[in-house]
Order: sequence, then structure tokens, then C-alpha cells
Amino acid sequence: MGREVGIVGVGQTHHSRRRTDVSQAGLVREAVDRALADANLSMDDIDTVVVATGPVLFGAVNQPEKWVVDAIGAQGKSVVRLTSGGGAGFAGALAGYYQVSGGYSDRTLVVAYDKLSEGQLQYSISTLYDPFWGREFAVGIMGFSAAYWRARMEVLGHTEEAAAMVAAKNRNNAIANPYAHQKKAVTVEDVLNSKPLCWPIKLLDVPPISDGAAAIVLASDKVAHHSTSRPAFIRGMAYCCEADNAAERSLMLSEPLAIASRQVYRAAGITNPRRQFDVVEVQEPYSCFELNYYESLGLCPPGQAAELIASGATQLDGDIPVNPSGGTMGANPIGAVGVIRLIEAATQVMGRNETHQIKDAKLALVQSGGGWANLRGCAVLSA
Amino acid sequence: MFYAPESYPIDLPTFHSQMKLPYTLTPGRGAGTFLAEMPNRRIVGSKFANGKIIAPAQDFSPVNGEEPVAMIEAPHTGVLTAFTRVDGAVIGLIRLDGCDNDFAHKILADMDSLEVGQRVAAQWDDTAGTSIMSIAGFVPGADIPVGAVKDLSDPAEALGVINYSMTLDYQHSYGPYYGRMFDEIREHGRVMGVRLPAADSALLPPREIDDISHKRTGTWKACANTGTIRACSIINMEVYGQTRPVPYVYAEVVLDGASTRMIHIIEIDDLETAKRTIKPGTRVQAVWTSGERKGSVADIERFEVIPE
Repeated sequence: MGREVGIVGVGQTHHSRRRTDVSQAGLVREAVDRALADANLSMDDIDTVVVATGPVLFGAVNQPEKWVVDAIGAQGKSVVRLTSGGGAGFAGALAGYYQVSGGYSDRTLVVAYDKLSEGQLQYSISTLYDPFWGREFAVGIMGFSAAYWRARMEVLGHTEEAAAMVAAKNRNNAIANPYAHQKKAVTVEDVLNSKPLCWPIKLLDVPPISDGAAAIVLASDKVAHHSTSRPAFIRGMAYCCEADNAAERSLMLSEPLAIASRQVYRAAGITNPRRQFDVVEVQEPYSCFELNYYESLGLCPPGQAAELIASGATQLDGDIPVNPSGGTMGANPIGAVGVIRLIEAATQVMGRNETHQIKDAKLALVQSGGGWANLRGCAVLSA
Repeated sequence: MFYAPESYPIDLPTFHSQMKLPYTLTPGRGAGTFLAEMPNRRIVGSKFANGKIIAPAQDFSPVNGEEPVAMIEAPHTGVLTAFTRVDGAVIGLIRLDGCDNDFAHKILADMDSLEVGQRVAAQWDDTAGTSIMSIAGFVPGADIPVGAVKDLSDPAEALGVINYSMTLDYQHSYGPYYGRMFDEIREHGRVMGVRLPAADSALLPPREIDDISHKRTGTWKACANTGTIRACSIINMEVYGQTRPVPYVYAEVVLDGASTRMIHIIEIDDLETAKRTIKPGTRVQAVWTSGERKGSVADIERFEVIPE
């Protein structure tokens, strides 16, 4: 095993639908300045930098890391860029984790962002489809995601109402999040009555489109105490994939997430996730996905996600709160979301979450993912 | 392909695809002010704490990431530091007088007459608006006076958004498996896949190696025109690039005889009826185009529900 790695500083922008006052690089700079200040460090203290963003087509800038590096004063440092669709931020954090854990770096800055107001989101995502085989019928990721939710409705009982409960929970939690920009109280009925976009996905099942950036500083246990007396240590982290169009792919349970969680739970000594975790942060690009993750992460058995959300267990006052930050329903700068979820979970176990601090939170679970719903990962954090 | 013989032809017809994307880009304060001042014939630059001056203006020092302490007005004159020819146009690097960086622009002169170190001056095009092309280019001259950097008075408000677009053309190679599949679609109006290593059902689209067992796939097989919906959603939102009116159904269909999905659409009259009548398990059939087949998935016009 490698060295212990902790999150010792965090920073995110105040996300919004459109920031016309800063460029993509300026947005990144804001998050980096906040993370470095939070870690009591300057750029001089950083050994390596990871830049993570969504697909190039989102912002029309190829190799944006060359621009970002200039804007954050990281000239001369080791820099890699990572992109992995919706999971870009999480994949970037995993790369940073490997660098510190493997002894290549003592302190690594991971910054992730997307400025989605600049391009055509769903059209850009449609280009993930095979150009020969299906792209002309693609409706971004939404048509596809809705189609497999429809399939899970029949088999697993993930009803429109169950997903609406997720949407209402996360939207209402986001109201207190100082970094969120969509903050409006909604009821389950509001969600059910909202306009169908790609039915069964309706308007209020869908997160906003956002401009935003988020950064974390990862440090080895040797130097972590220079930044904070209470780092959020990464106890396990994995990101797995499955074949896109294989005969066996059902898209019922998320198999790559189930594989990743088995690996991570083994590393972190988790045998009963529902009982052991104090708080969970998941990336739910549509409300239906959160139900899917409950099952793949083992928070409930397959087919019982609807019962879990209905029981209230994942609400703020439940025994396993999920997305006290509001998840993506408050803000969704896609490439940054994996890092935002890590920040929200890290600050929970550090005891300084700004939205809804879960009392005595010691062990947190983070999920993120991207691609064709075929890239999924998770991480366990504890102070 | 693992077993392609050396005699295999490598220069074959390709599949053309195009992406066409409009953007609303954000330049930020420095570049936004530079562009806003272009119609006023002012070249805006940035001054940093160490005294360095960069033009066009930047929000962050390219040396150390520091933010500028002020914006300045750079002179219209400078020195040519490098040049080349691209597509018949001469492009050069120009260091404006009093500035510490070089930037690229057009040089309006015959390349043979140019020398590094030559004096140049901006030539303006007042029809170009808030674009760097308001400077049509730089013209060399023997006795161009040396200009000076000035404070920037009453700067125009920075542009918040710049409209931009990209049209990207690609020529994809089919490869032997996609090549045969689309030939069969065009010539015979049938969808063919290849059998799984140890089963009769076919993989669509066909491929050389099975994704799960990593074994070579089997022989070719024609799939039926009928199939079963595996997953579907009702598209009711208008998005950029859509080619048909909403509502319609996005469907992932497993053709009879196949084991993987084919993505297509089903036309519907109204959303509420479709919620009840079109779902996973619903039987559908392909409706082929009545016109000439081109050898693409769109030769199937749509799928239709088979009445029970």
C-alpha cells in the first residue's frame, strides 16, 4: 500500500447559470485561490497539478490546461489534464491521490471545472455516441438516461414518485448551500407535475446547467498537519468501467459502481455501509440515478431504493443522509462535480461543512461517474 | 484488426460526419476590454506589479499568474520579431514599443522584403467591430517613430460574451465489420451482425472481439426486421441539432436474432398515449426508407409498434 493521503484544503466558486465576468481560466483561478488559502499554502508549496474538465466541445478550447496553468501561476510544475465526462473531477482527484500515495508528490492540487453556459450541452454529449451507430438519434445523455430509468421502473420499482422524492430532498437541501445557484423549495407534487423533457425525466428531475470550478489540495500524512489539524483522509478510492454495448449489459444495477464499492469497502474496512457511513454525497445528474446508486453502493438491497427514500433515512435527519449539500440539484458544473462532492464530504468529516453539518460525522461516502453511465467510482473519507 | 492480410486494401470510402456548434464564449476582463476598445483604435494591455507590460491585455501574468495592477494603452508601433507564410498570408510576431511580449498578427507586406528587427505599424480596418481584426495587419516602414505606453483613460466596458462557432468535418473509416454491415444495409436492406463466440445471437454493431469473453466473434447473421424495446424515453424537449419535431420516442431496440441494442426512434401522436403503449418489452418493426438506400442506420426511417 502507498502513503496515507488527506484532503487538506478545499475551495469552490459560487456557481451560477452564467458568469460573463470571468473567462474559463478566471473561473478556475477563483477556486484555486480559495483552496490554497484554505490549506494555508501558496502555489510554491504545490508539487504537482491535475486539471480536470468535461469534453473539449463544452467550451471550444482544446488543451485548456495550458491556459489554466498560466492563470494559476503553476508554470514549471508537473501538470496533467484528465477528462472523463461527468466523472472528470473524480477521475482527476484519483490521479492526484495516486501521485501523493505513490510518493511522487507531497502536495497535489486538483482543480476541476466546466463553463457550460458557453456551448451546446446536450449536442456536445450526443457526440459520445458512435458516429455510425446511433448518434443521429441521440438526445444527449438525457434520452438514454430516461430510457434506462423507464426500464428500472418495471424491474426495480424505481417509480416517478420515488425519484421525485429524491429531487425534492436535494433541491430543498440546496437552499442552505452558499455555493448553489438553484435554491427554490419544491414539493414531490411539484416535481411530478413539472414538464416532461425526456419522460419519465421531468424538468425538476434535472439539475441546472452551471458555470463553476472546484479545487482540493491533497497532501501526504507527513505534511498534512502544516495545513490543518484535521485532514479528511482518503481510506479508499476507485473508478471502474464496463463495456458500452455488450450483450450482458443490463443497466439495472450499476455494475462498475458495484465493483468499485466492493474494492473501496474492502480497503476501508466497510462491512455494513448503511450502518457505518454517517453521510453520503452522490453525483445524481438526474434524480433517478440516486435510486440506482443506493442499490449499487449497498445502502439497500436491489429493488429497495424506493422504500429507502420513502422511509426518510436519506433525509437530513435520517440515519444515512444523502446529499445534504443538495447534490447537483443546487449547481451542476459537470466536470467539477466529482470534486465538489469530495469537498462536501471532506468538510463533513472535518466538522466544518457550510451547508448542513451532520453532527459527529466521522465516515463519509462519495460517489461520482461519467461516460455512458459506464464509468463509476466511489471513495471513503474519514478524519 | 488482428488478422488483416497485407493485401487488404487500405484506401476505401469513408463515412463523413459533421459537428456544427455555436458558442457564447467569455473573454474575461482583460481580453474583453481589449476587444471592446478595438473600434476606438486603442490597443489595451496589462501592467503587472513587476513593471512588465503585456499586450493584448491578460487577466493573469503568463510568467507567475499574478493579476495585473492596471490596464494601459499600448502604441500602434513596434518591431517584427519573427515571420512566416501560411496559406499565402504572411504572419508575424510583433513586439509593440514598451511591451514585454510578442503577439501574432498578419504582416501586410511581401515576405521577401521582411527582416527581423524591422519597424512595423498597425493598419486599421474600421469595419471589423469588436474583433482583433480591427487591426487589419502590421505594415513595415523605415522611419516609423517609436511609440510609448500610456495610461488607459475611460476604458470601455469589457465584452461579456463573444459569439463563436465551429464546424468540424470528419472522415471516419468503416473498417471491415462496419463496412460489411453498411454494405448489406445498402445493397440488401438487411441488418447483419456477427454471432457471439458461443451462441447463435448476433452482436450489433458487429465487431471482431466479444467485449466480455474477449474471444473472436463468429459468423455473420442477418437479424430480423422485428424486435423488442429494451429501453425507451419520450422526447418532449427541443434541443439544438434535433432533426425532427417533438414528441417522439427514443428507443433502444434489440432486433430478433441480436443480443445488443440498436438506437432508433418511434413516431407518436401524443405523449400520454405513448406512456401507456410504448415501453420495455413492446414489439416493434423497422420501417425502411422508400427512397434510395445510402448505407446508414437512417435507411431505416423509423420503428413502428406491432399491433397486438
